[in-house]
Amino acid sequence: MDTIVALGTPAGRSAIGVIRLSGPDSLSILRSIVGDDHLKPRPSQSVLRSIRSNGSSSILDRALLSYFPAPNSYTGEDVVEISCHGSPVILRQVVDLTLALGARPAGPGEFTLRALGNDKLNLCQAEAIRDLINAQTEAAAQQALRQLMGELSARLQVSKQKLIQTIVQLESALEFVEDDLPQLKKRQIAAELTDVTTAFAKLASTFESGHLLREGLKVTIVGRPNVGKSSLFNMLLASERAIVSEVPGTTRDTITERISLEGVPVLLTDTAGVRDSTDRIENMGVARTRQAMSEADLVMVVIDGSEDLEVEDLRVLSQARSGRHIVALNKSDAPSFAVLEKSRPSFEARTINVSAVTAGGLETLRAAILEPFGSVDSSNAGFLITDARHYDLLVRARLEVQSSVDLLQEGASEELILIGLHNGLRFLGQITGETTPNEILTEIFATFCIGK
Amino acid sequence: MSFDEAFDVIVIGGGHAGCEAASAAARLGSQTALVTMNLDLIGQMSCNPAIGGIAKGHLVREIDALGGIMGRVADRTGIQFRLLNRSRGRAVQSPRAQADRSLYRKDMRKSLEGTPNLHLRQGTVLDLVIRGGRMAGIKLQDGRTFGASAVVIATGTFLNGVVHTGHETYQAGRTGEPSSIELAEALKRLGFPVGRLKTGTPPRLDGRSIDWSAFKPQPPDEVPVPFSFATDEILQPQLNCYVGYTSTRVHEAIRQNLHRSPLYSGKIRGIGPRYCPSIEDKVVKFADKDRHQLFLEPEGHDTNEVYLNGFSTSLPANLQQELVRLIPGLEETRIIRPGYAIEYDFVDPRELGPDLQTARIPGLFHAGQINGTTGYEEAACQGLIAGINAALTVQGRQRFRLRRDESYIGVLIDDLISQGVDEPYRVFTSRAENRLSLRYDNADERLEPYGRDLGLVGDSDWERFNQRRDRIALLWKILEDTRLKRSDKAYAAISSKLGADLGDSVTLAQLGKRTGVGLDIIRSVLPAEKLPGLTDSEIESGLADSLYAGYIDAQRLNVQRLHQHDGLQIRPDFSFRGLSGLSHEMVERFERARPLTFGDARRIPGLTPAALSMLLVHLTVRRHAA
Repeated sequence: MDTIVALGTPAGRSAIGVIRLSGPDSLSILRSIVGDDHLKPRPSQSVLRSIRSNGSSSILDRALLSYFPAPNSYTGEDVVEISCHGSPVILRQVVDLTLALGARPAGPGEFTLRALGNDKLNLCQAEAIRDLINAQTEAAAQQALRQLMGELSARLQVSKQKLIQTIVQLESALEFVEDDLPQLKKRQIAAELTDVTTAFAKLASTFESGHLLREGLKVTIVGRPNVGKSSLFNMLLASERAIVSEVPGTTRDTITERISLEGVPVLLTDTAGVRDSTDRIENMGVARTRQAMSEADLVMVVIDGSEDLEVEDLRVLSQARSGRHIVALNKSDAPSFAVLEKSRPSFEARTINVSAVTAGGLETLRAAILEPFGSVDSSNAGFLITDARHYDLLVRARLEVQSSVDLLQEGASEELILIGLHNGLRFLGQITGETTPNEILTEIFATFCIGK
Repeated sequence: MSFDEAFDVIVIGGGHAGCEAASAAARLGSQTALVTMNLDLIGQMSCNPAIGGIAKGHLVREIDALGGIMGRVADRTGIQFRLLNRSRGRAVQSPRAQADRSLYRKDMRKSLEGTPNLHLRQGTVLDLVIRGGRMAGIKLQDGRTFGASAVVIATGTFLNGVVHTGHETYQAGRTGEPSSIELAEALKRLGFPVGRLKTGTPPRLDGRSIDWSAFKPQPPDEVPVPFSFATDEILQPQLNCYVGYTSTRVHEAIRQNLHRSPLYSGKIRGIGPRYCPSIEDKVVKFADKDRHQLFLEPEGHDTNEVYLNGFSTSLPANLQQELVRLIPGLEETRIIRPGYAIEYDFVDPRELGPDLQTARIPGLFHAGQINGTTGYEEAACQGLIAGINAALTVQGRQRFRLRRDESYIGVLIDDLISQGVDEPYRVFTSRAENRLSLRYDNADERLEPYGRDLGLVGDSDWERFNQRRDRIALLWKILEDTRLKRSDKAYAAISSKLGADLGDSVTLAQLGKRTGVGLDIIRSVLPAEKLPGLTDSEIESGLADSLYAGYIDAQRLNVQRLHQHDGLQIRPDFSFRGLSGLSHEMVERFERARPLTFGDARRIPGLTPAALSMLLVHLTVRRHAA
């Protein structure tokens, strides 16, 4: 096995940059670059040393060094971490030094792959690391971290063991018909399996929230020109990202920003005002608006509540009607707003009075954006399924086990009941690691005294 | 060096593997010698006097469909036939029979002697003759040399065999027969990786001294189900077996004497089969059980010897006598032959290809316990495949292999050559992914055409097979065409028996997909004259086809879904060595197979799930840095 090296922190200027080495030569490479053949930092202790280029007396950097000997490291191999000052030039030079000493640049995800190969992680934990790195909000990171700690596998272990024990009983009854085995208790088996399907269903039901946490929500703000879309956008952003002006049609392109609502990542898109225009550039913007509307999970239609409804408002509303949408009735601070309120027809969709000027109604608006997606159990209380693959496997596993329960109740022969159980276990195995036929046999011989 | 005699194929060993191998090779037209230490012990059942059982009965049926001989010999010499799992689905039913040990031997020898091109030779093989890296012949202890370009080694437990009873240890291939030490050493010299396994037998009792009234009789089936598709009738008179139990007194005595067991004193190093533990093991590992089941099995019509199944032991012989007398009903019983444990060498079966030929020495085949298996049926089916391929190799014909999805034989060989063994390997139905399709009653449909193509299935058997196939096809048509209507006389009774409304009209084929639809229901709708020539068993086969068809289709879909990544491409120049974190052994396996898709990779034998996960991660999520 060779030794790999990579930058552990993002490329670019920063306070600290960490270089990571993994492999059998990690320590000897470290010794070479600090010029100390006996250096051996104790695990969980950092030492400060000067890094010199090979054969030169000039110091490249003063760095903090940590050493994690195999197998108690992230990858399960000898790992060295070098914390340098975060100058891209220095980091490049230190990495080059390690390359000259025989290290190889790590491929994408290679540290995690090595951890996987050395059984430091299972596949589902490896996926969690991917999610953790890509997490968009703190709550999403929390969920990835919990999965990384093995929580998904652990939560499935109970069901998996029940499934295996049922398979063991049914297989033994088939296979060792001449042995003196206890009678199958079908009612008890059905109850155990129903526990399993219930557990799968419960876990799978967390996916809607989990998915939201991971993938986020796409919200598109639309409306005729000059109703205050960008003002509301900025209010939600609490920043001045979009250019706001009094000239109708200023926002000709779509602008997207990421915000966090109750821990849910929301991709907020501000669009060009929808109206018939002869301006070619503006028309392109309108086309993009339509595109953004069709891709959105939720469309927020902004209407100027201080003016009478215009034909263009109605057109936008009718376009939004095909999907999930809410109405933000803006300029609630304007005197005419209250006057017009009595004569204004009520809208089909949830309507929130807001003011981009006073920020009145902001909290209600934020809540209304999340409302259609159910309550998101944010950071801590519950464990959520965030990965569509896991969700799919759980749903399939549940269906398979359910089919076995049905067959059991119909009085079918064991080999038919077992089909769904084996399939269920296989689907589960794609999350927690596979169970081989040999492991089932081992379980059988441990459970029953077989041997005519 | 010229040989004293020249053959095409030589089979070393006259057990269940050797007999099938020699018979098949000779009937394929190769001049074949079967060399064994003692011609009088050809076809000896070293352990229990029974053939078949769950999955094992399937193997015997498959052997028969391919044109092997075990099933026919067992049918002629079986003294208690029982179809196991009768109350369960057809796929997991399997025939089993007690055989008359001495009749079986005689019949097998007679079968071999009646086979043209087959030559029996008595002698002990000392060494293999290899020329230019290929098989050339064998050397015998008496100085003779035989030439052959294909050799099948089927030596059972004889390679470096060591027998244990208590602290008494002696070299033997079976009790009372010498072991084969030189041949075992020759294989090691050739570089074959060799391991050590263990098996055991129980004592044989004097039937005259048994109080039979203390045991529960286990009668034979009223209508015996034979092993061979060619057998019309079982002619041997059928006998009872008897079921009894050990007692806590027996267990206590065993516990007190464990130090005298070579298993527990550390003397035996070989690994024994977990599904056939010694009585010592049962008492220790399942200490909470207050009794263990025993079977008294008659060894034959003309003998008093009774086999005490379930009481395999390597305790000292005099202690065995004391223990047996503690068993209720055996208080006065005398042991004729004590039980014993035997350790023997096996060669890692990963040395073999699917034709059971060694990769190391072209022309050399291994079959039976030398490959780490246990059981007469497991041995016989390997002997058949090795014998067939030995003859095909000599004749320059394309070699024969069976797939996992079409036969238990294919499952067994694939498991052996891809996974190797770490305990004596026995076949189980749960080892077959395609369990529902691999039924004992459709083994002919699955395999007989292969046997015919090879030249092992004779004209009359082929004719019988075709007629049976035609009858089942006719049955299918009748089941599709016959409707059960609400107005029919039988409707109400059937509907209430199944506890379901069947609609206004249902074909019998549709009805057959329901659990609980058996022969009685079909017969109640279709009188015998509407089912010309169809036997009960054939009707049940037809019903099983109906019942399983839907599940088999669903299973196929499921497997496809599970294998959704199979289409992922792997570049021809993909470096598996570059798959970080992969063990050397896994890299080797990938490199040898050079898969071009993930599906190919998944089917490479011996890969760990972790290795496959890593490949999959590489192929799918490589863009995610960690």
